[in-house]
Amino acid sequence: MKSQPIDTYASELAEDVRRAVADGSASGYDRRAASLFSDFEDPDFLRRTAGDVKQHTLENLDTYLAQTEDRLKENGVEVHWAGDAEAACRAVLKIMRDNGATKVVKSKSMATEEIHLNDFLEREGIESLETDLGEFIVQIDHDHPSHIVKPIIHKNRQGIARSYEREGLGAYDDRPEVITARARKFLRKKYLEASVGLTGANFIVAESGRLVLVTNEGNSRFCLAGTDIHIAVVGIEKVIPRDRDLSLFLSLLGRSATGQQLTVYTEFISGPRAEGQPDGPRQMHVILLDNRRTEVLASNCRDILRCIRCGACLNVCPIYRQASGHAYRSVYPGPVGAVLSPLLAGEKFSELADLPKASSLCGACKEVCPVNIPIPDLLLRLRDKAKHEGIKSPGTPPMGGWAYLASQPTVWRASLSAGRLMNLMPLNLIPVPALRAWTKSRQLPEWRGGAFRKWMKTRKIGGKDS
Amino acid sequence: MIAVDRDPSPGKKVQLMATCLCDSFFDDVAVATVEVLEYLKCEVTFPEEQTCCGQPAFNAGDWKSSRKVVRHCVKTFAGDEPVVVPSGSCAAMVFHGALLEFEEESDLPEVRQLAGRTWEIADFIVNGLRVAEWPGKFPAKAAFHRSCHTRETNSGAATRTLLESIDGLELVPFGEGEQCCGFGGTFSVTFPNISAAMGKLKLGNALKENPEYLVSGDMGCLLHLGGIATREGKTIKTRHVVQILRDSLRNGGLIP
Amino acid sequence: MNNDREAILKRVGEAVGGLADRTPYPSFRNDLGVSTARSLDGDLWEIFCERFVAVNGMPVETPDAMVEYLKTFGYTHGYCDPALRESLAPFFDSGFTLEESFDRQDIDRYQFGITRAHAAIAETGSVVVTDRLTSSRLAALAPWVHIACITRDEIIRDTVAAVADLGDDPNVVWITGPSKTADVEGILIEGVHGPGIQICLLL
Repeated sequence: MKSQPIDTYASELAEDVRRAVADGSASGYDRRAASLFSDFEDPDFLRRTAGDVKQHTLENLDTYLAQTEDRLKENGVEVHWAGDAEAACRAVLKIMRDNGATKVVKSKSMATEEIHLNDFLEREGIESLETDLGEFIVQIDHDHPSHIVKPIIHKNRQGIARSYEREGLGAYDDRPEVITARARKFLRKKYLEASVGLTGANFIVAESGRLVLVTNEGNSRFCLAGTDIHIAVVGIEKVIPRDRDLSLFLSLLGRSATGQQLTVYTEFISGPRAEGQPDGPRQMHVILLDNRRTEVLASNCRDILRCIRCGACLNVCPIYRQASGHAYRSVYPGPVGAVLSPLLAGEKFSELADLPKASSLCGACKEVCPVNIPIPDLLLRLRDKAKHEGIKSPGTPPMGGWAYLASQPTVWRASLSAGRLMNLMPLNLIPVPALRAWTKSRQLPEWRGGAFRKWMKTRKIGGKDS
Repeated sequence: MIAVDRDPSPGKKVQLMATCLCDSFFDDVAVATVEVLEYLKCEVTFPEEQTCCGQPAFNAGDWKSSRKVVRHCVKTFAGDEPVVVPSGSCAAMVFHGALLEFEEESDLPEVRQLAGRTWEIADFIVNGLRVAEWPGKFPAKAAFHRSCHTRETNSGAATRTLLESIDGLELVPFGEGEQCCGFGGTFSVTFPNISAAMGKLKLGNALKENPEYLVSGDMGCLLHLGGIATREGKTIKTRHVVQILRDSLRNGGLIP
Repeated sequence: MNNDREAILKRVGEAVGGLADRTPYPSFRNDLGVSTARSLDGDLWEIFCERFVAVNGMPVETPDAMVEYLKTFGYTHGYCDPALRESLAPFFDSGFTLEESFDRQDIDRYQFGITRAHAAIAETGSVVVTDRLTSSRLAALAPWVHIACITRDEIIRDTVAAVADLGDDPNVVWITGPSKTADVEGILIEGVHGPGIQICLLL
């Protein structure tokens, strides 16, 4: 039997990587849970409310997008629209070319990972440098992030120190404080050399046109202090209606991502720098990105667009902990990625149709999701979609025969008692369908099919036969 | 998670949904369910035509097949009496999963009607019958694994309420309690490596506290964890919550 | 690009146009996101200090104490917002060099930067810097030590009030402690790109 790619990936994962990912995701669970669940009398009400705000926005996105565009323009921001990855990359390039810019410093952004902006800009001869410490290390390693908020969760300090040595960033030294200090030293002159600071956005507020960015390292702040032009690539689902929503969302985002009440730098940007301010961009551009988000919006999985990219579902997911982010073969790993990535793949859905299967449907992701996305339900919907589209799934036992038996009580009862002889048992009737895969690491208990029915029929109640 | 409103006073005439796992492997769990319900003065009927709740096909993505089974289930458990099931997973299938796959079906109201009167056993005892203290005794140390399909339902808290009230029973907390055991139905065979690794983690965390019993409200979890324990030569007795409740009554001389 | 605009808005319209019941904007209290676990009643500076310390910030109540700290650790060369110069300069002795402009060609020359802050948030232990009041974005970011100066009446109770106070400044930043990362093996390191020491001085 062919096996599921993510299960195979997990079984072949180097032990030190698996350990790093498992420990890195599990650590801080108590802090994150406490900061959400002990700080509020009814934390579920917060999560439901935030979820409703985002769902409301999505379901009225036509109105809110138009409002967002108007406010941005009033604030002196240039607004660009990009239907797909290519259009977004070209929009960035055009702004740069129009201004004779050749260097860009980037703050961490999932949207620009998604459109593979760095590769595109490099091909066009533009230096595009990641400044988040983790993303910077990913970039010098020509690797990919394996976590939404902890991009190098799969790496250890020894590997990083070797990479630094190779890239001429200093002799081997694997102390985290040295690794950090060297990046500080290297990157701070880069901020000042670049003319463009490129960011994503965590939120964009429709009523004020305010773009909100959160970081801990301060790199996005530096990108917007050292450069002349700010370009933000923003997925159209990032809109929230009002400024008043921010207190709730920021409170949930910090707690869910890292167990912080607020991240260190929470930036509210509504235009080019103020008059009299010597530092920061004189131009601000926002590129509103679709890239199949409207397809997701039209589907019965639109709830996934509520996601605020906190990474809580990855951290708590037992499958992510065993398999690591790269097993998901896409920019968005973990439970959110198992829903979002196949949907964003468009006509290549079938290539990622196995991702929604990589879940025991335990619901830990939904329990911690700050916007209450019913991730298990969405995974199930995508499994149904894959089945409809006739996409084969390795290892999944055929269910047609089972459904036939389970809706024919006489046959069911007969099979139950016949099953006392295990080898006569139709395998797909046993609730544990693929025996060999099961027994590889687990013993199966004695078959006692029909025993309860017999007891129920023949027992005595209060001394009388039933 | 419970997407339907339930009658807060469901009454004592109940239909038992024994689950296909108890039908195949764990008859004593179904027996214990009957004994516990009858101790609580419930009149238990067992619709003979019952097979399965439809979850295996639902989780596998074969919703068409699953709906066929759910329709059979709806027919089998017709009526107005509460349906009580010794499994958080099967209960969740009836009151949540089935509604999802019938969203666009014309017989959704019938499915919803069944969903509205289906109870996981601990939830039924505590919130349906309003019993918050369990008599008898069970002098032992036990680790309780809250099965995943009871997340966001009342069952986890209800189970704790009952177990914690039993004379002599010591519940030991263990690490990473919120994590799944790795069973997940067909997941356990389509992802055998990850599933087994998860099971070993769960078992390891629980065994660290040296419990005599590993207790859960779902035999799926215990089938999996017990299977790993046996294979690895670890000694731990696995028991369904309802078996503990029944044995507590027996130990206290409250039932034969 | 304009084509993309029309096409995206059309697709969005089609995607949501057919929805029978759209989720209403929920009703909730403005302060829903403010933790109820800890009280915000009492002296706001004291509450701010407690929370600021919890995020590894350093509240300082007098210019003397600030100067003493800088001296103790050998931070003698820095930037000072010209608007603060008059009130703060008398506290510095001749061992210090205070510059009133920030030279972006040589940012490592500055060991500390003293700027005005617009406000502080008691609930979260944050200082608020803005484009209009904070004289230089770089000076408040690049040096190892940042000293944000506020007055007592500028302390805001919570994030709800702080959001309401965002106003029309194009760039408002809530700074909650020193710059930090845990990217390498989850180990906390302070002073990544921004300050390793974040001070708030009460004027």
